[in-house]
Order: sequence, then structure tokens, then C-alpha cells
Amino acid sequence: MQSFVIRKTIQLIMALLVLLGVSALPGLIVQMRPDFSNYFKTVEQQLKLLTTWDTLTYYNATAAENRLLFPDLEPFVQETLLIFSSALICSAVAALLYAFLFYQAGPKIRSLLTQVTRTLEMVPDLFWVIFSQFIVIILFKTTGFNRIEIAGGADDHVRFLPILTLSLTTVFFFIKWLTGRIQEEQGASYLELARAKGIQSPRLFWQHLLPNLFYRFYLFFRTNIITILSSLVVIEYTFNVQGMFRFILINQDFSILLVLLLLIYVPFFIFDTVVELCIPRSWKGGIS
Amino acid sequence: MRRVLIRDPLFWLGLLLFASLMTLSVGNTLFRDGQVDQVTNLYSADGTLLATSPLEPSSEHWLGTDRAGNDLFQLLIEGAKWTIGVCFTVAFVRIALALLIGVPLAFRGKRLYTGLRLLLDGFLIIPISLLALFILLPALLLTDPALIPSMSSRALLEVSVLTLLGLPALLLYLISETRQLLAQEFMLVARTLGGSPFYQFRTHIWPHLLPTLTIVFMQQFVQTLMVLIHISLFGVFFGGSLLLFGDGVAPTIFEWASQFGYYFLQFTALSWINHMFLVPAIALALLVFFANLLTSRLERAYRLRRQQLIHAPMQELAEAEAAATQLSDPFEPVRISTKS
Repeated sequence: MQSFVIRKTIQLIMALLVLLGVSALPGLIVQMRPDFSNYFKTVEQQLKLLTTWDTLTYYNATAAENRLLFPDLEPFVQETLLIFSSALICSAVAALLYAFLFYQAGPKIRSLLTQVTRTLEMVPDLFWVIFSQFIVIILFKTTGFNRIEIAGGADDHVRFLPILTLSLTTVFFFIKWLTGRIQEEQGASYLELARAKGIQSPRLFWQHLLPNLFYRFYLFFRTNIITILSSLVVIEYTFNVQGMFRFILINQDFSILLVLLLLIYVPFFIFDTVVELCIPRSWKGGIS
Repeated sequence: MRRVLIRDPLFWLGLLLFASLMTLSVGNTLFRDGQVDQVTNLYSADGTLLATSPLEPSSEHWLGTDRAGNDLFQLLIEGAKWTIGVCFTVAFVRIALALLIGVPLAFRGKRLYTGLRLLLDGFLIIPISLLALFILLPALLLTDPALIPSMSSRALLEVSVLTLLGLPALLLYLISETRQLLAQEFMLVARTLGGSPFYQFRTHIWPHLLPTLTIVFMQQFVQTLMVLIHISLFGVFFGGSLLLFGDGVAPTIFEWASQFGYYFLQFTALSWINHMFLVPAIALALLVFFANLLTSRLERAYRLRRQQLIHAPMQELAEAEAAATQLSDPFEPVRISTKS
């Protein structure tokens, strides 16, 4: 336990230093050339910012004045969190249901499902954005149905389409991984044994196969979070979502970049720690 | 893997598409000086004005023209070499650098790898497009036409920034992949027999790594293309964005992602979906699609090859076992068929 705490503390400190260095990277290039003295100056500036983080300000264009960053940023973070988490939940549920269907299906349906998802996963995220907006507008033109927002405003929340498009990009990602692992695990001896004991195949899937995949799935998710967040940046931008990525695209400032990086990293770090502590060892492939 | 790929029509289709696009594009630069026809106004034979650009797609202009009168089809051809070339270069240099740095590190102990993982952990969750935007925007926003640095220096800067930003993730991946190979039994034998690290790499690891690297290359290609598209949506075009009078930015070259970003920024204010916006969008989507297709074909070939490799000895083993159980007299020599 003690070594765990020490390891995690070192990891956190290192990551904070790296993020500090990363957030100062824009200061590295001056006049198209790398300029290290300027870079270190920026790092120093960022360090100073960390000590005075509660008085950070940003320029609010509407109010035409500098305002305190911290209470103002909150709704933006909430919006991003809402979209991100609901899209994750949607796509995880959809991917699980698909995986179950895939597990139950015979070889013919399986190959059909694989073909379809393989083709759909090649579609870039931006295309989903444009396509969904297009569909909604066509829908409005033909039927007059206008309850779906296609772009947000200052007090206007646009949620349905961003969540849908983010889910679409992540779901194929998840599906690809899940089906691959299912095919791999299928011949595993613990499943054979369970089958031999007469356990029905739905129970086999939910009780035996999934727990074994869970931790690996989390690791896979963690290593690919960068792709999902990249999609989220573009989705927030194109749908005009009042989220934190859009906030930083409008207020391009070193200090806000640092705040944003910390806001992304620290929750993941905490989540990682919790997962590592809470998931039973047998799920991780060890012997309990 | 090669044998499977040679017989794969979809793989050849994708490759042919990329090759022909590149040939046409380079040909346009060599034989037509990279010229793109411009039509501002269209007149009939007796001199009456028929239409002004942007023109709709017609038999004369296959994909129509944009607001400045550039023929979109020729524009796409001219720009293809930039889009494909940049993604190709970035992916290639990333992999070369990752090999150069990663493989020697993989031969070191486990501690170094864990340390490196710890160090780069923070780096792995930041969207590359966001960072690239922050780094490139001040350098590539060209406000004063008199003070524009040379094209080569702008391209070099952008390519190196994109390469370096993607490097940490690739590096970690390559190290873990190499370390996995090093833990195999045959590597233990190779080490015991006294192969030097370089020899071990060349004869044992490289043949195993190469198929994976081709897949990784295509993935990096697509990833770079997506980053290019994303940052050009934010107004950073490849090779620099000219700040226009009033508000807005314009790209300096006909690169696809830049053109897409350029038309996208115009389209939000004006009439929605038109050919100007759709042509680069569909072209890019197709490019990503075909690059993904190549990746999936490579993956398929890799998978089939591995199945063959694993299946062959398994079958022999099963045959041997079956033969052993059928023996009436266990000490009589049996002939086990070993098909290879």
C-alpha cells in the first residue's frame, strides 16, 4: 500500500511537471525557430500562474472586460462533462449490446455484422457531424420537425446531436476492440469448462466473459482517450457547444491552456487510481 | 502477409487510387506549372453574362468553381500531392524516429520503460490538434504580406511540429511491442547463443516488427490527416494562413484540408451545403476512407498470416497425438506424416 501511494504521488508530480512543460510549448517557437530561452521564460510564467491560480483572469469579449476565470469556467466544464460522459455511456451500452448479439450470432450473421461495422468505422468523425446536421435539416424541410438543435448559442444548449455524433465515433471504436477480444477469448478453457457444465450462453457472456474483459477494456479506453477527446474538440467547435474546448479555442491563452490540461488530466488520474484499487484482482487476470 | 496482399483486389484498388492521385498531381506541377484554371465570369457567344463564380458543376467544370473562380477539379488534383505528401512524410518520419529512439531503449531494463511511461503519461491524453493549434497559430498566421517566410521553412516547421507531437505515443507503443518480442522464447535462445543487440534486432525482431509497422504507418497517416483537417477548421492551414482584410483567413496553397477549412469558415455565414463545401469534404472523407481501407486490408492479411503460422504446428501436434493414442504397440516406430 505504501509503495502504491509513493508510486502514485511520483506519477502525479511528474505528470504535472510534464503538463506544465507542454502548456509552455507554444512559447518555444519564435519567428519560426525554436527559442529555448523564451521557452524557459514561459515555463517560469506558467509556474507563477499555478501559485496564483485563484486570481486568473480571461478577456470576456461580450462584456469587454477581464473577468475571473474560475467561477466563469464552471458551466463550460459542466457542459463538456455532460456531453462526454453521456456519449461514453451511450456508446458503451450500445457496444455491449452489439457484442452480446455478436456472441450469440451464428457464423453467417457474424460475418455480415463484421462487414458492416468495418465499413462504418472507416468514416471520419467530421463526416458524422456534417451528415447529422444535413439529416436534421432535411427532416425539418420535409416534415417541419424542428425540435432538434443543430447549433448552440450563448444560452442555447445543443446536446442531442453532439452526444449522438460523439457516440457514433466511439461506438465503432469499442465494437472493433470488443469483437476482436471475444473471438480471441472464445476458445479459452474457462469458457469451455463453463459451457461443459451446462451454463447457458447469455450467462456465459455476462458472467464469465465480460468480467475478464473489463479491466483490459479500461486499459484500452485509457490509451485511446486521446482520439475521443480530439473528436470532442471538433464536435464542440462545429456544433457551437458552450463547452470548455470551445472556450479555449475562443480564448487562446497559455494560462487557460494549462488550466484545461490539468482539468483533463487530474480527473483521469483520480479515476485511474480508483479503478486500480477497486477492481478485483481476478478481473485483472491475477489469482485472487 | 505479402502473399495474401498480392491477391487482394481491394488493397490494390486503394493503392492504385493513391498512386494515380499522386501521379496526376505531380504531373500537373511538372507539365502545367501547377496551374489551376480560373473562371471569374461566364459569357455566352454573343457576350452576355451568363453567370459568375462560384459556378455549379457542369460538363465544362466537372466539380464547379469556387468563389475566386478556381476550377475545383484541377484544384483537388493540384492539392493532392500536398495532402498525401505531408501525411506520408509525418507518418514516415515519426516511425523512423520512434524506431531509432525506441528500439535501443527497449533493449534496456524494465525500469526505464516504466519510468518513461510515467513521464509521458500526462502527454498521452492531450488532443494533438489542440496543441498543434496553439503552437502553430502564432507562427503561421501571416499578417503582413511583405514579411512572409519562405514556403519551405513554413512547411518544415509544421511537419516537424506534427511529427514531434505524435511521437511520444508511438514511441511507447513501439517499445512495448519490441519488449513483447524480446520476451519470446526464440529471443531467449538468440541471446543465449550470444547474438549482439543489433544482430538480434536485424534477424529476429525486424521481420516480426515490419508487418505491424506497415499497419501503424497507415494509422499514423490517417491520424495526421485528421489533425490537419481539425486544425484547418480552426483556421490554421498547412503552410500558413493569410489574414484577410476585415475578418477571415485564406490558405496559401491548394492543400485539401486547408481548402476544406477555408470553405467551412465561409459556409457558416452563407448558404449552407453547396458544392464548394461538399467537394473538398467528400474528397477528404474518401481519402480517409481509402486510407482506412488499406489499413484494414493490411490488418486482415496480418491476421490471416498469423492464423496460418499458428495453425500449421498445431495440426501436426494433433496428428502426432492422435497417432500416439492409436498405437497398439507403443514401442513400434510409427511414421507420422509431416506435411509442410
